[in-house]
Amino acid sequence: MIALLTVSFSVSAQKNEKKVAFKSSVVCFMCKRTIEYDLTFEKGVKSVNVDLEKKLVEVLYNTKKTNPEELKKRLTQIGYSADELVADPKAYENLPGCCKIGDEVPHKNFEELDDHK
Amino acid sequence: MNFKSIIGLPILCFMLGHSASSQTLEGKVIATNGAEPLVGATVRQLGSIKGTVTDVAGNFTLTVDRLPVDLVISFVSFQPDTITVTNNSFLNLSLKEAVEIIGEVVIQSNSTFFDPLQPILSEVLTEKELEKAACCNLSESFETNASIDVSFTDAVSGGKIIKVLGLDGKYVQINRENLPNIRGLISRYGLGFIPGTWLQSIDVGKGIGSVVSGYESMTGQINLEIKKPISNEAIYFNAYANSFGRTELNFNRAFKIGEKWSTAFLLHADYLSSTIDRNEDGFQDLPKTRQLNFLNRYAYNGDRVISQLGIHLMIDEKAGGQNGFGFGDDLLTANAYGFRNDTKRAELFGKIFLTFPDKPYKGLGLVYSLVTQEVAGGFGRNIYRGEEQSIYGNFIYSNIISTSFHQYKLGTSLLVDDFDEVYKDSVFQRKEVVPGAFFEYSYLGASDLSFVVGGRVDEHNLYGTFFSPRLHAKYDFHKDLTFRAAAGRGYRVPNAIIESYQALISSRELVVEEAPLPEVSWNAGGSVLFNIKGKDGYQVVADYFYTTFENQLIFDRDRSSNQLAIYNLEGRSYANSFQIEVSKRFSEAFNVKGAFKYYDVKRTINGRLRDAPFISKNRLFLNASYATRFEKWKIDGTIQWFSKKRIPDTQDNIEQFRRPGFSDPYTLVNFQISRGFRKGSVYVGSENLFDFRQDNPIVDAENPFGNNFDSGLVWGPVAGRVIYVGFRYKIKAKHE
Repeated sequence: MIALLTVSFSVSAQKNEKKVAFKSSVVCFMCKRTIEYDLTFEKGVKSVNVDLEKKLVEVLYNTKKTNPEELKKRLTQIGYSADELVADPKAYENLPGCCKIGDEVPHKNFEELDDHK
Repeated sequence: MNFKSIIGLPILCFMLGHSASSQTLEGKVIATNGAEPLVGATVRQLGSIKGTVTDVAGNFTLTVDRLPVDLVISFVSFQPDTITVTNNSFLNLSLKEAVEIIGEVVIQSNSTFFDPLQPILSEVLTEKELEKAACCNLSESFETNASIDVSFTDAVSGGKIIKVLGLDGKYVQINRENLPNIRGLISRYGLGFIPGTWLQSIDVGKGIGSVVSGYESMTGQINLEIKKPISNEAIYFNAYANSFGRTELNFNRAFKIGEKWSTAFLLHADYLSSTIDRNEDGFQDLPKTRQLNFLNRYAYNGDRVISQLGIHLMIDEKAGGQNGFGFGDDLLTANAYGFRNDTKRAELFGKIFLTFPDKPYKGLGLVYSLVTQEVAGGFGRNIYRGEEQSIYGNFIYSNIISTSFHQYKLGTSLLVDDFDEVYKDSVFQRKEVVPGAFFEYSYLGASDLSFVVGGRVDEHNLYGTFFSPRLHAKYDFHKDLTFRAAAGRGYRVPNAIIESYQALISSRELVVEEAPLPEVSWNAGGSVLFNIKGKDGYQVVADYFYTTFENQLIFDRDRSSNQLAIYNLEGRSYANSFQIEVSKRFSEAFNVKGAFKYYDVKRTINGRLRDAPFISKNRLFLNASYATRFEKWKIDGTIQWFSKKRIPDTQDNIEQFRRPGFSDPYTLVNFQISRGFRKGSVYVGSENLFDFRQDNPIVDAENPFGNNFDSGLVWGPVAGRVIYVGFRYKIKAKHE
């Protein structure tokens, strides 16, 4: 019984962390920054990465503390779409110009600035 | 914040380039916010030492050997940037201010860096570094820095002073945005009058400074940049409390007023009302303090005129001494031995800068300040009162000689400094009127060698002509190996009473043997900076400086333990200072910095060349910091070890009041953890974590009015461990 509990506990510790990815209206380096910064401080978030090429927001999170719906909601609150959810229009308005869709320019080279990777 | 300008950059990377040999690139570098041109920004070809600097309008011309080429653009307190240039069309480049990084978007930059362009060895401490020491004012800002030592002046006043190159911080010129700041009557307690939350960055120049800011930078120059009106930080709020009961509130507000005007308000209040006597010697280890500090300035950014006007008002009160002495007590009538020091300061300051759109390399600037400050108080039955009125103006014209490789600055300055002091029954009055003129030529070309040679002449109404020649040179042996050298002469006029405070809170009698003359020194030195970049990059900086005095005001505590004798130097006085600092980046999150320092400081005291008191010959310093992404978690620790220090001679006392000739070596540990949030952070930390205290710091504390009392033989911490908590809350300015 005790052994069983221990096993199930260690499994759930692993299971508590889950990776999820949302399709989002990210445009550029600045968007990547904004989202990664903001979600880093979101409850239950372990790590964030925005893939600009695939337009994906990848989040590793603690399933006990948050869920994909919360994360998606937060993305919309800061001006970005998340899968089927559209961005909050007011927050979108406040985004820097470059982060608005339509203002799209390639920013590939700029990625190298990111965290000195 | 205007991100648009930075986004303009990458477009360049995608323009189809035509490859060619030697190409001339032209462009302009501006600040992301406010579009202010950045004067003196470096534009360098990556992987080569080929580079140039921007002129007064932010423009540059650079010849590169091929296209496409990677350019590195950098500027003090701004985020460096690298771009790929494929053709030779005009480049509009913008840099983000380093302050924008804090708790926000952007890069994990170094919290301190050595300005790569400056021929002067100059280390920049960014806000990120300054946040590592959460308390409270400028005197704590240097706790994580190896070049600057901070020490207590005595066991009563709680005053802290800095030491640089083994010499008192009074030989360092401390300016606030190029205006003289901590000098004159506030030269002893002035570090406490600059709240830490006002600071945006600090430039620490080691060795003799540039002639442009005056003759006083004898061993170094510290320039404090405070929070700007044009700022990314619209609101900043901080609260702090520590285990002594000190509480502190800080509030900054910056906003635009219309198109060209902006303003910033900086407010600070602190309060400590508890009696702290941890060693139970009947004396408060720290005085009670209360301070209100206010600064407001307005900035105008026009097309041709850039101007600022501001006001600084401060009132600071300290009451200490024997337990029971407080703000309500009178020094002369209280039974207790008290200490009072009340400082009032009002300053009006500003600058005007004219640009010439058709001649972008030209500039005309005036910085000025009007200061009135007053210090009232005393210790025991000794009453002190001092007033100082000063006027300072510095007029600077900058231009180039044919190309921007040859730059020069010339100008004139005026200092009027009127002192009126009363100590016990003696009156000290002095009115200085010092007009001066300077010329400084800089060769900042694209070659390996750059240098600045300058000189200034000041006509002092009381002390005659001051001539200060100065030279700074830099040689890039390799892009990651830089040598620097400097030499020059500096002057300062001492303030005998204020500067002897630390020895006078004692039974010593003040004996001014002769009228103090200006202190004159020569300083020479050099440094090597070696950089290994990459993932496991490290940096080694070694420097050596030699200072020798033509004249120095000697505060002699060795002759007699009942006297403080003041006289001008007769004989030699010099300081050798050697420092080696190694910093290593173990990962993006983990950085370690270690330093070793050696000082050999000797001066002729009472006819004998001997070690200067209260200087550790050897010092070790180790700082480690760990930060997760966006500083969600940040841990920082510093360990410092100090070797023994010489204590002034007390052999003439009766046995129980003698002190050993040397102090014990000791170690101090500081530690801080902070947790970041979207809009700020919460921090907790400790200074002097292991509670090291100097035993029995006051001689004959039981009889402060007797003949053996001395609170000035302090070589280590008196109050011991401090534990503190605080938080910072920041609201960003809206995007434009």
